[in-house]
Amino acid sequence: MELPGMLIALIVLTIVLAAVFFVRPSITAGAAGKVLAFGALCILPAICLRMGLTTHLERSEQTKFCISCHAMETYGKSLYIDDPSYIPAQHFQNHRVPADMACYSCHADYTIYGPLKDKLRGVQRIYVQYLGTPSKTIQLPGGYHNRQCLRCHLGARSFDANPIHVALMDSLKSDEMSCISSGCHDMVHNGGNLDDLKMWSPGQ
Amino acid sequence: MRIGILGMERILRIASGLIILGLVVELISLAWIHPLAFTLFAFVGICLIGLGILIYLAFLVLVVSLPGETRGSPPTP
Repeated sequence: MELPGMLIALIVLTIVLAAVFFVRPSITAGAAGKVLAFGALCILPAICLRMGLTTHLERSEQTKFCISCHAMETYGKSLYIDDPSYIPAQHFQNHRVPADMACYSCHADYTIYGPLKDKLRGVQRIYVQYLGTPSKTIQLPGGYHNRQCLRCHLGARSFDANPIHVALMDSLKSDEMSCISSGCHDMVHNGGNLDDLKMWSPGQ
Repeated sequence: MRIGILGMERILRIASGLIILGLVVELISLAWIHPLAFTLFAFVGICLIGLGILIYLAFLVLVVSLPGETRGSPPTP
């Protein structure tokens, strides 16, 4: 487990300094004490807060973060299906998306308020998981948008050279027709049926 | 409203206590990568540290607005 060393050191330093003012608040009577108090009780905690938030947001983009939830385990396993027709597995295994950010690369909402909406949705799911009744199947709110695929594929030579893509380009761009429609790239996670499939182990 | 030196010290203690508590929560949340760690930091850590900073800033405003004699050094026996 990697711990952000500098942040940990800063937090410990701030705790020690804040503890000084907790035990001896009278130190603030002097000018030096006032300056130290401002650093220890305002500047340093604010820096720790900012750095902690950045660290947590970066961590929440990692594949291991997403699949650490019990409900997501099968989706994580599906990335190792040994069959190139499975789109997520093919992208993950061939590093078409960064392997350590596989879920985020294809499922993040790349709009202005997308990351905020994603986080709120995530918190809602945590609430349902621990305090409500989670549904058996996980549904993507609003379905899977083509913009997630087109963000990388649009303009790529192999994508643009495909006559089917060219013929359907307008429908794909307007989300009228989904990339994962039946008959196209419809082999996605297949979460419920993994036991019958051959799995790939890295380094094999 | 009258707040003496002892009251000011209490405010400072509350602010530093909240900040320490919030930072401990942040340390715990950084120890593992899980959505619950994120939630713990976002809802508990941030609130405690933020509240601590706000109380400290309120303390500064109070100190400035107090009459000169109460602002000085702590009470001597």
